[in-house]
Amino acid sequence: MTDTRTTAAHGGAIGLHGIKKWFGTFQAVDDVTLDIRPNEFFTLLGPSGCGKTTLLRMIAGFELPTEGQILLDGADISSLLPNQRPVNTVFQNYALFPHLSVAENIAFGLKMLGRPKAEIGTVVNDMLRLVHLEGRGDNPVTQLSGGQQQRVALARALAPRPKVLLLDEPLSALDLKLRKSMQMELKRLQLETGITFVFVTHDQEEALTMSDRIAVMSAGTVRQVGSPWDIYDRPAERFVADFIGETNFLEADVVSVSGSAARVRLSSGAEISASFPADAVPTGSVTIVVRPEHARAGAPTGMSVLRGAVHDIVYLGTDTHLHMHLDDGTTFTVRQQNARSGHCGFSKGDTVGIDFSDGVAQILRD
Amino acid sequence: MSRSRFDIRAQPGFGFITLFTFFALYLPIAALVVYSFNGAESLSQWGGFSSRWFVAAWQNSAVQDAAIRSLVIALWAAGLATVAALMAALATTRTAPYRGQTLKYALINQPLMVPEIVTAVALLIVFSRIKVWTGYSGLGYLVLAHTAFCIPFAYLPIRARLESMDLTLERAAADLYATRWKTFRHVTLPLLRPAVIAGFMLAFVISLDDVVITEFVKSGGQDTLPTYMLGQLRRETTPEINAIATVFLALSTVLVVIFFFINRKKQ
Repeated sequence: MTDTRTTAAHGGAIGLHGIKKWFGTFQAVDDVTLDIRPNEFFTLLGPSGCGKTTLLRMIAGFELPTEGQILLDGADISSLLPNQRPVNTVFQNYALFPHLSVAENIAFGLKMLGRPKAEIGTVVNDMLRLVHLEGRGDNPVTQLSGGQQQRVALARALAPRPKVLLLDEPLSALDLKLRKSMQMELKRLQLETGITFVFVTHDQEEALTMSDRIAVMSAGTVRQVGSPWDIYDRPAERFVADFIGETNFLEADVVSVSGSAARVRLSSGAEISASFPADAVPTGSVTIVVRPEHARAGAPTGMSVLRGAVHDIVYLGTDTHLHMHLDDGTTFTVRQQNARSGHCGFSKGDTVGIDFSDGVAQILRD
Repeated sequence: MSRSRFDIRAQPGFGFITLFTFFALYLPIAALVVYSFNGAESLSQWGGFSSRWFVAAWQNSAVQDAAIRSLVIALWAAGLATVAALMAALATTRTAPYRGQTLKYALINQPLMVPEIVTAVALLIVFSRIKVWTGYSGLGYLVLAHTAFCIPFAYLPIRARLESMDLTLERAAADLYATRWKTFRHVTLPLLRPAVIAGFMLAFVISLDDVVITEFVKSGGQDTLPTYMLGQLRRETTPEINAIATVFLALSTVLVVIFFFINRKKQ
């Protein structure tokens, strides 16, 4: 393991500058500019058809951008063939070579690069150890389980020590338990190898768990880039807030702005402080978001920020969701952790007061 | 295994039809094999068991020449047809579907659709002109003609295999630093091998068996085994041709079995 770490190539930086991609009359990617830093775990997150996989394929070289430049450590690689780019891919269906053994699959890239046999043998053994497949080198890949095939695909892509590893929804074919453990595994591999990972997924939880930074995409454009915390707690716009997790949207009026926080008045008349995206100083009427777990429900008092009636109670094991109709008719959900066993303390039709701490509310750009 | 009422094997007449079909298919062949051991001079009158016609055929230099010629032509034609079919299959499956694709398949498979006798006459005309111009009258014409009608038989299994092949495998090879040639050599071709062997085998047997085109294209003294046998039928017929046909049958059966086992071992 140690030699893998000491000889690991340093992760490369990817620069995407003004990337556009047309397939006939369909625009898959619309003017994307992104900087992916060396050694980071970067995730492209979005619904299917948002252009995230097309973007990944352009970095790999399987598609050429219609417009724009792709830089690797500052050098333009836009027009290089896939085999000329020091970038490897883990495919969604793994794409293991069925006529080759586990070891031959892992050795493929190094063999194509013309590395000496002895070096290939050493690296293959290192890789087998890295992905916990010691002693499986001679097995045919067709006899492995889904999780094991996944590990071979990873080892095969890591063996030539690429500057960047591209992962195209690699966990989507695995069952939930295996997916969870592979998430940890991927994160470990990324830290151990120091290779830049670019990960494509439509699974927001996967993105939040593993990433250093996330780019949320929609309809061929990047909507927001930031740390998992930024994306979840400080969504800049409705699409991002809606796509990541569950959320409550409330209409509000801006009362004052000072520094990075604003005072807003809710329909209930209560005034709260809220943060806003750095590039959009809010004025007039705005939409704010509050995550269900950031709100608390209790007996209504004069101090309650909002008031509503319980409309539905959904028990989820770890949490209970209280769905409410506010006095002004909008719906609002509170997620309450089931810290103790037993009933949540509310019944359908109860009138409740809702509170949340200052600063948990976020003003959207649009 | 319990037979349901709707199992085809439970339908009335199933057994009879099956037996009849098997007799129709194999009785004539069985009769041929039996009569090749006929000791008499007659084709169909039994005159005791003997292997004399095998010996006669073996010692007949015309039979030897024709047999060797058949094998040489079949090897060349099957080899060339397989290479051409492989290239055609790669070219026709590596593109997005487009208008006119079916037409292209039809063009490649022309020998399956145009009656053989038409092609035979056409080749006769063209080749006789070329023979006059070039003065060359060797086996090349037969090899060329056989290659052409063997292509679809080699093409169909290779195309079927390519169509079911996962294209991301080639993409993965390219991603792992393989040039196009290396991708073909290390990924595409090994995965196609069973289909290539099957295509070659089919083409080989089809070439070995051909009568019509060969009859029209061959120059004097270029008899293949089938055309030699046809020629013999026009003169006095002896059970010698039964013996030749039986050897022919044994040879192709052995070939098919060998290829079958090669293929199975690879997978």
